[in-house]
Amino acid sequence: MIKIWSMKKNEDAAAKKRPKTSAAQIRVQKDLTELDLPSTMKTTFSDPADLLNFSLTISPDEGMYKGGAFVFSFVINNNYPHEPPKVKCMQRIYHPNVDLEGNVCLNILREDWKPVLNLNSVMVGLQYLFLEPNADDPLNKEAAEELRKNRDQFLYNVKASMRGGSIKGVQYDRVSLQ
Amino acid sequence: MLQNESQDIEAATATLQAQPDSKTRRYDRQLRLWAASGQAALEAARILVTSGSATSTSVLKNLVLPGIGHFTILDASTTAPADAGNNFFLNADASIGKPRAAEAVPLLRELNDSVDGVADVRDLAALLDTPEGRQFVAGFSLVIAHNLPKTTVEKLADLLWQDPLYPPLMVVRSAGFLADFYIQFHEHCVIESHSETAPALRLTKPFPALQAWADSTDYDTLDPTEHAHIPFVIILIKEADKWRAEHNGALPKAYAEQKAFKAAVLARQKKLDEENFEEAEAQAVRLWTEKGVPSDVQALLDLPALAPDASPNVAFHALLQTLRAFVSDPAGPGTLPLTATLPDMKTDTESYVRLQWQYKEQARVENVRFKELLRATHPDVSIDDALADAFVKNAHHIKLLRGRPFGAFARDAAALASALDMAPKETLTHLGLNALSAVLERSAEVTPEALTAEIQAAVGAGVVLPEDELENVVEELARAPTADLPNTAAFLGGMLAQEAIKMVTKQYVPVNGYCVVDLIGSTTGVVGAV
Amino acid sequence: MATTTISNGAAIAQDWPGRYYHVDQVLDRPGPRTDESFLAGEGVKDFLRNKCKILVIGAGGLGCEILANLALSGFKDIHVIDMDTIDISNLNRQFLFRPKDVGKPKATVAAAFIMSRVPGVKVTPYYGKIQDKDDDYYLQFNLVICGLDSVEARRWINATLVNLVDPENPESLKPLIDGGTEGFKGQARVILPTISSCYECSLDMLNKPTAFPICTIANTPRLPEHCIEWASVLEWPRVHGDKKLDTDDPEHIGWLYKIASARAQEFKIEGVTWSLTQGVVKNIIPAIASTNAIIAASCCNEAFKIATSSAAYLNNYFMLIGTDGVYSFTFEHEKRADCPVCGGEAVDMTISKELTVDKFIETLIERQDIQIKKPSLSSGSKHIYFQAPQQLEEATRPNLEKTVSELVDDGGEITVTASSLPFSLSLRIHYS
Repeated sequence: MIKIWSMKKNEDAAAKKRPKTSAAQIRVQKDLTELDLPSTMKTTFSDPADLLNFSLTISPDEGMYKGGAFVFSFVINNNYPHEPPKVKCMQRIYHPNVDLEGNVCLNILREDWKPVLNLNSVMVGLQYLFLEPNADDPLNKEAAEELRKNRDQFLYNVKASMRGGSIKGVQYDRVSLQ
Repeated sequence: MLQNESQDIEAATATLQAQPDSKTRRYDRQLRLWAASGQAALEAARILVTSGSATSTSVLKNLVLPGIGHFTILDASTTAPADAGNNFFLNADASIGKPRAAEAVPLLRELNDSVDGVADVRDLAALLDTPEGRQFVAGFSLVIAHNLPKTTVEKLADLLWQDPLYPPLMVVRSAGFLADFYIQFHEHCVIESHSETAPALRLTKPFPALQAWADSTDYDTLDPTEHAHIPFVIILIKEADKWRAEHNGALPKAYAEQKAFKAAVLARQKKLDEENFEEAEAQAVRLWTEKGVPSDVQALLDLPALAPDASPNVAFHALLQTLRAFVSDPAGPGTLPLTATLPDMKTDTESYVRLQWQYKEQARVENVRFKELLRATHPDVSIDDALADAFVKNAHHIKLLRGRPFGAFARDAAALASALDMAPKETLTHLGLNALSAVLERSAEVTPEALTAEIQAAVGAGVVLPEDELENVVEELARAPTADLPNTAAFLGGMLAQEAIKMVTKQYVPVNGYCVVDLIGSTTGVVGAV
Repeated sequence: MATTTISNGAAIAQDWPGRYYHVDQVLDRPGPRTDESFLAGEGVKDFLRNKCKILVIGAGGLGCEILANLALSGFKDIHVIDMDTIDISNLNRQFLFRPKDVGKPKATVAAAFIMSRVPGVKVTPYYGKIQDKDDDYYLQFNLVICGLDSVEARRWINATLVNLVDPENPESLKPLIDGGTEGFKGQARVILPTISSCYECSLDMLNKPTAFPICTIANTPRLPEHCIEWASVLEWPRVHGDKKLDTDDPEHIGWLYKIASARAQEFKIEGVTWSLTQGVVKNIIPAIASTNAIIAASCCNEAFKIATSSAAYLNNYFMLIGTDGVYSFTFEHEKRADCPVCGGEAVDMTISKELTVDKFIETLIERQDIQIKKPSLSSGSKHIYFQAPQQLEEATRPNLEKTVSELVDDGGEITVTASSLPFSLSLRIHYS
């Protein structure tokens, strides 16, 4: 065998054994403990020992969705950050960029994900959807149509849906804090 | 699912394909590279391999697996203990003393039932001395020769160079960690080169329907959603028109102008993050890089034609001449024919499908015009529609390689001098392998000194050779002059098979020149290309 | 999971004279680029043929080739791990398998084939996951060669071998040779864990998997792929609920194909086929025997050179593109200082058994050589103290009062993350 060990002695920086924790685990620890979230966002761990599964509650304090509390599930696998976290909305909500199954249209969750992004970027991106819903590339077409054509009606629908009302035959979950 | 919705699906999908048959499933991973046309070409190929060495059977393994039609191993030798040790396609020590070709063929054939394989125990050198033998060798579609004696390989190469209709010859030589290989062909034409560069979209010379669409698009009358979905193609045509109007008909040239153009595109956005405008900015480079005829295709159009009836590529040359006529046709677009393939872009379904339809329609019109020209200029050449269609579709990426006889490089003092300068290591390895064949041919002892003397004689006494590179080559060759190492054999087996597949399918682009392999440094390099 | 071991202990044949005529030419004498430590002749042959133990991960396209090359090169104690069974689409390149083997475990069939073809070579298969095996298992090998198609498995074995390196034990450093192919392209690399650039260091060189915006799939499909993704990402879960999509089940593919075709027709999109549907949902990468042969040969050649010192080895990355002529590029990929696996610092700390976590953190912050602010600490899967988020801070706060020795064994490791660190810091704790 080649004499690798003799090369090793010259490499002092890397000369120590490392802990048995996966790169994904350490990265999630780093992402979570360095989260810089406004008071409108809060994470909840159903099992604090499990960093890979948790939820995020967004309670916008401005914009059309003010007064609601929106819950998203985060599922992170061991291929993080090569793969993005899987995020779904846990409630049925009336929003142009969230469909009735809870799928969310946010570029950095799919096509624009890259490993230099982190959980903070995803969370900030989600909150932005509630401040500036995007009607141009919708998932809930009817909601988007309403937002484009009749902003007042859209706002009315948002408020009604947040109280658990139904719009065009679809019953939405109550997400109002009041 | 609602009932009427499901009925719609049933009605819409009544003509769907069933799950593919077992042959398609077996070949699925390769059909994604060369499709049914490439597979058919492979299945029609008859390949002659002139020995049953480890390198030879490695090449064959990689050709039998994807399903070539036929192979013959031509090998008069019996299996030596050394063969039984380094060749996976022999029955180990049980094969010792038995004909090597006959031992290898069944073990290769069992890799793929649909491949025909034959062991031929005649002697190649003797065959090359008879007209029947020469005819036999010339009757294959490709010949592959590993570590043949010097005079035999020269005879073989001479024979196969005599007629452009004779098969291409792949010559591979190896010793220990060093090797080279060469494909001898007069000319090799490729329609489907699978180039990864995008075909032109005619943004600087839009066809009428496209221009009309751009002209009729008024940013200000569109609602915000429509505005955010104008295809970048339309945006760029409009912006280019505007720029030309303001710049005496010229497009942006200097870097500063290009920057200004891009800024103008972005300034068209009505709100932040309109992705179609961002895409237009990113694609603006097409306006100053897209040519009506790309320079490498122009070089082919300018090539002097070979004597037409002596070429196996009559059809390709007829198509090439037609392409020349198409480009210079005053009634035509003055460019290569349009390709219907449209890249994906940020727009809505309706606009995209409409745009795609317009490109298809224009491509169809130009394809018809191309075929009219073809029939008018080449009434006697029979070219089926599928071939002409493939040519038109791939006109941006066609390739034509012209080659030289095996060994011509080493006789070309000017080419050698320049190669020694540009790629000393590769050139010396090639010359070293030449020297090794010469020394082995006269049954002399292979020493660094003997090899150095041969190399020096080949380049001329006055040429100063780089000392370190020379020493590395001759000492390494003298260390293992006859070693067909299992890993080197497997490496070359893969390389040669890749090239054989490219030659046979006429897809992708084979190497032109001597590919030199150094498995100590783990490098490859090409020298002696025309 | 069953462990199958085929042993041919009694059957180890005598090497016939001349068996290694070819290989011995490079083992009997050094070349101009051979390291001085090379033990030409019997010494190196004895190590290669009687002592060296090598692990092959993956018995697929690369794995089959790797096993055959190693066996012919003179490696006689080979282990192979693969969790897959043989599929008909493997037969165009995985040359140790025949149609009758479809459905059987790759590792077992490949091992049996090699042993029947190359006498005297022992191949020990394991049909299962690499994650089933512990450090002691990996420690028994001199070298590891990987022919995998999964990023996740590669990251795992890479991190495992880096973590295995023990400063007290030279034998713990296992060279890792990794190969990969796609169509006419491929790469081979040599990783000397903790010494040269590791797999994680180059993670950003990977092509990212194609993903389409979900709103495009839902509302503005343009390509056949968009229709197929609609069927698999949105329609499958909507219609089938929790039933998992099995991309190997032709009925499932058939259903997706039907749904995608109907959608394509509705939007006047052309080009949805069975083959494309399967390609998109399984993320199929084209694969051919010849490219696998090149890359596997390159990997085995490096393994041979490293095991024998008979010639210089690859430093450290070989990339091949065979689509347009033969183009290859050999270069040294640089180690990344902030690599989560092999980068960052490791520091030995000796502390009192009585030191509380709270005081320990203060000590860390005060250390001039580390320069750390607001550190969060864990040890393996145990959270020691997290600065945020609030719930995790509260959950770990009681640990501040505990002594470090209650939470971490002597010689144990603590992983520290902090925004002031490039990635993380590991501390090896000893008690005075």
